[in-house]
Amino acid sequence: MVHTADQAGEANAFAAWSTNVAELCAVVDALRPQASALGAADPATSDWHGVLFGKLRPQAAREPLLVAAVCGGTNTGKSLITNTLVGAEISRSVPEAARTRHPVASLPAGLAGRIDLADLFPGFRPRPWTSDVDSLATDDDDRLVWREDAGGRQPPRLVLLDTPDIDGTLRDNWQRAELIRNACDVLVAVLTQQKYNDAAVRDFFAAAATTGKTVLVIFNMVDWPRQRERIPGWLATFTADTGVEPTAVYAVPHDFAAAEAGRIVFHPLPELTPDGGSLPPATRLAVADFDRIKLRAMEGALRLVLDPREGLGGWLDDFERAAGRWSDARRVLGEEGRVRVEMPTPPREIVWHEVWTWLEPRRSGFDLAVSGVYRVAGRGVRWAASRLGIVRTESERREDFSVVELAALKQALGDFIQRLDDACRRDERLAGLLGPRLASADRATWYADLERRHAALPLVSEDYRVFVRSQLDRFARDNPGVVGWIVTGLNLGAVARPAITVGLGLAGAAVVPAAAATAGGLTTLVHHVGDVVVGTAATLAGEGALGLTAAGLKPLIETLFAGWSAERTRILAETLHDVVLGDGLEQIDQLAAAAKRPELARARGLLADLGRRHG
Amino acid sequence: MHTTPSMPPASGASASEIDFAAFDQLVESLDRWSGSLPEWPPAKQVRAEWDQIGPRLDRARRELSRVLVVGVIGGTGVGKSTLVNALAGREVTTAGDVARPTTTCPVIVAAPDVDLSWLPVDAMQARVVRSDAPAVAHIVLIDCPDPDTQGERPAEPGGQGGTRGGADNRNRDLLEAVLPACDVLLLVATAQKYRSWIVAREVLAFAPGRPLLFVQTHASRDPDIRADWRAELESQGFDVPRIFRVDGVEAAARAAAGLHSEAGFGELVAAIDGELAGRAARRVRRTGAIDLASWFTRQTQASLEPLQVAAAELAAGVQAERARLEALLVRDIGVKLRGGRSAWQRLLGDEIVDRWHGGPFAAFLRGVAVIGGLWGRMRPGGGVIGRLLAGRPADEFAAGRGWQALDDIGLKESEVEQSRSILAGLAARARITEPLVHRARIDPARVDATATAVLERTGRWLGGGIEQIVADRRSRSGGRFLHWVFEALFAALVVVVLLREARGFFYGYLWQGQAPAGASLPQAIVWVVLWGLLLRWLLMATVRAGLDRDITTFVARLPAARLVDPLLVDFEAAAERVRRYLADAARLAADAESLGGTLGEPVGLGRLRGGER
Repeated sequence: MVHTADQAGEANAFAAWSTNVAELCAVVDALRPQASALGAADPATSDWHGVLFGKLRPQAAREPLLVAAVCGGTNTGKSLITNTLVGAEISRSVPEAARTRHPVASLPAGLAGRIDLADLFPGFRPRPWTSDVDSLATDDDDRLVWREDAGGRQPPRLVLLDTPDIDGTLRDNWQRAELIRNACDVLVAVLTQQKYNDAAVRDFFAAAATTGKTVLVIFNMVDWPRQRERIPGWLATFTADTGVEPTAVYAVPHDFAAAEAGRIVFHPLPELTPDGGSLPPATRLAVADFDRIKLRAMEGALRLVLDPREGLGGWLDDFERAAGRWSDARRVLGEEGRVRVEMPTPPREIVWHEVWTWLEPRRSGFDLAVSGVYRVAGRGVRWAASRLGIVRTESERREDFSVVELAALKQALGDFIQRLDDACRRDERLAGLLGPRLASADRATWYADLERRHAALPLVSEDYRVFVRSQLDRFARDNPGVVGWIVTGLNLGAVARPAITVGLGLAGAAVVPAAAATAGGLTTLVHHVGDVVVGTAATLAGEGALGLTAAGLKPLIETLFAGWSAERTRILAETLHDVVLGDGLEQIDQLAAAAKRPELARARGLLADLGRRHG
Repeated sequence: MHTTPSMPPASGASASEIDFAAFDQLVESLDRWSGSLPEWPPAKQVRAEWDQIGPRLDRARRELSRVLVVGVIGGTGVGKSTLVNALAGREVTTAGDVARPTTTCPVIVAAPDVDLSWLPVDAMQARVVRSDAPAVAHIVLIDCPDPDTQGERPAEPGGQGGTRGGADNRNRDLLEAVLPACDVLLLVATAQKYRSWIVAREVLAFAPGRPLLFVQTHASRDPDIRADWRAELESQGFDVPRIFRVDGVEAAARAAAGLHSEAGFGELVAAIDGELAGRAARRVRRTGAIDLASWFTRQTQASLEPLQVAAAELAAGVQAERARLEALLVRDIGVKLRGGRSAWQRLLGDEIVDRWHGGPFAAFLRGVAVIGGLWGRMRPGGGVIGRLLAGRPADEFAAGRGWQALDDIGLKESEVEQSRSILAGLAARARITEPLVHRARIDPARVDATATAVLERTGRWLGGGIEQIVADRRSRSGGRFLHWVFEALFAALVVVVLLREARGFFYGYLWQGQAPAGASLPQAIVWVVLWGLLLRWLLMATVRAGLDRDITTFVARLPAARLVDPLLVDFEAAAERVRRYLADAARLAADAESLGGTLGEPVGLGRLRGGER
């Protein structure tokens, strides 16, 4: 799997493999932002993500380097051991715990010029070494300090790192240690008799063991030789609980003076070393079978990523499940988010006036004269009646209508808010997304918005005029010679009562057909304001109904009335869309559709592909 | 709602007695307060926390003179058991480096004569060892299991991979069973473990109300890290008066050999003797209890703090929405009152008729009123206002009409619902929901009752106001002088008519022999009636002058009558209860703080001060 010169046939396979890994990373990156919104686990916290992005991607297509890291708990002597292994003081060792804040890397000569260290160690900003206290800097910057061939004996393909602690009170330190652990092939585990069975230490190395990393164990601060006989027991506990199979085990005696002087001694423990060898640790790292170790680490990492439960596949399942729950939530919202608006019957003269305006040029002189007489007479009677206080004037009636209409719209808004509240009670996801909008001081502004729109609403909009003209034109085209009938209708003055439903057009919700059904399958108008839908139907009522039914004008008149009310109700839909829900609906729609994202299928395909290659 | 008493000023009898009385009062107040608003989720959470804290405070009060239990806590391998052995003077618990963890069950060390029946030894799965060493003569020492070898619980966030290996290790669970019984914590650390986050987490969880001793062990092997440890502890919120540095191994060896203890260990033993035994024990327990109470109030204050603004905004919202609904009422009622011209006329006329007796003009007015009354009865009622103006009682028209009845006085359902919906949003922000407040839409079953309540108030207020306006006018029409002026004016025409008639009859007919003027009497009556009506109009104009202004003044006083309260009463009551609850919280926190201030600082013991967790 790793590129080696003598296996030319594998080169193509390797290239394909590394392309797959890169594409897989891109797909995960594309899905990841939505995961937290869906309520799926953030992949960044999982081990598979760590090795995929920290090891497989950066190291798949690069020159084969062996990365070894010295890891362990606070104040166990990691820096001192690293310095000894490197042969130079690259990281200051101090008495206080948790002082190494940043990893320090000792690189082979010339490496920094050949590769980009930021790519090799994702999450870090590489900084050239200036002194041994670089690693102690207490700023938040995730830096990685590097120095080339510090001790003058660095093997050409070995990168050796000192890391921050894994169990202290500073979480940044653990996270940095984990990033390094993900990237490395060899771990030098620094254990002490106080810490070899600490849960934090066990967990850290267990994660390394599952990804096939090579581990060297160094027991530091050993009361030598008294505690030599204890070490097999300690090691047994450590390996049993972590699954680590160390390739070599060493003991470093507790010697404060020697440590101060930077002279520490590694005692090989051949009886605990599988190959029985007594090579010092630095030599062992230098002469190690780089390719075998690297291969093992890469395969281990891949195994974890491919694991159906713990790996990327498990996360994809989780992602899909979460998306499915959002799809349920969307259905709940579609069911709840629907309100019947009790709009008052439109003032008849408004609709009729528009019809009249259309009719005017199409009528015969006689017709016009007769109607004109009617109209003048009617106007006179109305004027007289209003002066007597028996009948309200036209402007008074419009004012009355406007008051009732605003009340109806407000009531519908209140209804809608309560229904959204109900939807949130039924589904915790909706509560999470819409709850903060509902539990806010904004409601007053919602009502104010509706009032403002209502006040600004012209009695007859240009849209409505166009609508009336088009309806009448079409009707006249289909029914020539019908003008006379329309005049009858005008004089009868029939009125249609609108039935209006405002709903959320989510989940292809059956908002509009339902509205039509409630109105007895009558002509239906639909307005969309984003995802908010205004569905309208009308029923004909009033004294002129019979005449119009006879003339076959019924659906036309109903449509004209319904259209007018729908125009009016649109402001409610606008308020709902613009200020109440904001982008909430779009968000829910996206989340509910997440399961259908092509990236999911692509990720599964890539995983299957990698699985086949891996065998 | 109950009131929580404040602490009395510290004066009079000896300081410690005052402390006790005040402390008892504080605990009782906290107990009452924490249970005072169970319907509010944040308060329910406070109560749940109090249920943990309360019994501890109660026990501290009851068991004031019991020996102190000192829990020795620290990471595995730091030498807890070794230190306990050194204090006990012999090996009472296994110490060593054979296997980690060494201590898997708690060991309780006590003097031979100490009664331990109150200690839940079995529940702790502990072993009891008796020792007559002087260091444990006046305390009970517990060698605790370590917190850091047990894997993370799967449910707990932050764990890397659940429990891996060591799955049967339950040391932290055991520790958490032991620590509640401890009064004092003896925190042991080494250079390797003083910055361990798992240990820090456990100590922080149990430190509130438990004074601490800090000990660095492995003195002969490790460098002195006390300065750095102190900084770390202080950053976690601890007061750290001193840190002891001992070598447990050496101390245990010397103790076993009967040798004099080395300096660091001697200081520790002296501190245990001086700070934890005898009278000092009472002080430690009291300090711990007061610390715990202040810690609790600080924690609750911190958790309630973010809700202060939201609760205040709800209260302000109730005011604003009430004002909005009242403005609607003012407008509508004002228009209707001013518009009921003929009704006012009738009311005022009736008033005059009732009070003016004798005289022809009074009789004339009475006659007009009777006819007017007949006409008035034939006309429709004209809503609540019309009915009230017509002198009918208010409560007869509310029942069964619900919103319709409120619409009559200018309160539309949609407006009320708008107010309630806005308040529901504000309430939800303050986490106030059912059952503290009802939903925005008033339950249809309750609409009638609510409408009736509003209408009754409105009726009473309007009835009173109308009466007042009528009474005010009474003074203008009430004077005898005015009455007699009008009587005189009215009588003048009658006299003129009579005189004219008399002249026509006596002078013209009898004296001059002119023909009698035919049908002059009906003519005269017409003139009298017209004159009477003119006078009545004048009278009414006098009485009615400024009526519109008076109505406006009266209606402007509407908010004081709190007519719309029944519509928003749940929100108002909830806002008030929450406000009081929060005010009580602040006061109790101040009480606890001031009580803590009266304590002398313990000399050598650490305490958790900061609230951060």
